Amino acid sequence: MDERLRETLSAMMDDEADELSVRRLLSHGDQEDVRGQWQRWQQIRDLMHENHGPVAGADVASRVRAQLDGREVPSVPAAVSPTSRRWHWPVAAMVALALVIGFGAGTGWQGGEPAAGAEGLAAGSSEPAPAQVLPSAIQEVTLQGLDEEQRRQMRQYMLEHAQHNSVGAGRGSVGYARMVSANSGY
Amino acid sequence: MAQANSSKKGPVTATTPGHRVASSMTPDNNRHSGEQTDSQTDLQLVRKIRNGDRAAFDLLVVKYQSRVASIISRYVYDPQEVMDLTQDTFVKAYRAIERFRGDSAFYTWLYRIAVNTAKNYLEARGRRPQGSADAADAENFDDGGRLRDVASPEKLLQREQLQKALNTAIAGLPEELRSAFLLREYDGLSYEDIARILECPIGTVRSRIFRARDAVDRHLGPLLNHSST
Repeated sequence: MDERLRETLSAMMDDEADELSVRRLLSHGDQEDVRGQWQRWQQIRDLMHENHGPVAGADVASRVRAQLDGREVPSVPAAVSPTSRRWHWPVAAMVALALVIGFGAGTGWQGGEPAAGAEGLAAGSSEPAPAQVLPSAIQEVTLQGLDEEQRRQMRQYMLEHAQHNSVGAGRGSVGYARMVSANSGY
Repeated sequence: MAQANSSKKGPVTATTPGHRVASSMTPDNNRHSGEQTDSQTDLQLVRKIRNGDRAAFDLLVVKYQSRVASIISRYVYDPQEVMDLTQDTFVKAYRAIERFRGDSAFYTWLYRIAVNTAKNYLEARGRRPQGSADAADAENFDDGGRLRDVASPEKLLQREQLQKALNTAIAGLPEELRSAFLLREYDGLSYEDIARILECPIGTVRSRIFRARDAVDRHLGPLLNHSST
């Protein structure tokens, strides 16, 4: 598009182009070029008037043309960029991880049967019996390969750990919960 | 910059990029003053469309897509739905173009189609239209983009960058180009009025505005392309 035509297009933006000039512009061979220039100037105007809205810069005209011609409409979302999409999986993975840890902690708090030395921790609790709360799959994994002596040592260790953590005022609560759970035989 | 009384718009206040001085014009007049609602260009384009010129319709789509999307985003909030309904509005407008009699401005007519498209869409899905825009408000509707902003943080950042670049570009224009450009865009003056104020021929005004636009476009070029992804 030469300078003269572009100046006509600029005048059209301002409603100052005469009919003949408009006709000449619309009969220009490369309408893509005309439309591209027109779109950029319209975007600048929208920006100047703080109207850079939801579809700013989107190629709505192509979509409209495709629909009018009965062709498949390009399915590029208006406001989702490839850059933002890149973050979806890592964020989802982090949320899932946080949920697993949180769920583990929550289970530990509620599910442990008090050991002999830790009975006070659950005194007066109205929680259901541990066997009703925890799935049996967890039982198998926790108890796997432990003989009586190891169980005794584990209980002792967990008792010490529970006492240590109870002084920590909430710090390390996940470890505390897990140990209570394991101490109780789960 | 000179100040003058415009026969059309009342007293004009000088404007500079980033320092828009409130003028005596009402916000409504100030809004999109670069685009007159009774646009002669629109009517020229409509005549072309009726003669089967699709390229003319493309220009109208590009010209009004942001404003139509802004209207629709008063009713629906999902960006994809806004895009789809904007598209539907233009498809309906194209198919009904023969019924546009020119009694009202093209934009007013288009506005009504947009409002009805959004309302019908919500009603078809059993959702009660919540938007406050009404077809009768067409002449007074402005600033849809600000009224309902559905942009993502990334888009907002992009827009901020664009805004800064725009201000830089305008500030960097030679004085005579900047004056003509701002009198047109912010004060909505005709080329004739601008020529009177700047004491130069209309052809010079036309050329200055074009050169200003071109310079700003070149400055923003890559950013504008990026924003369209």
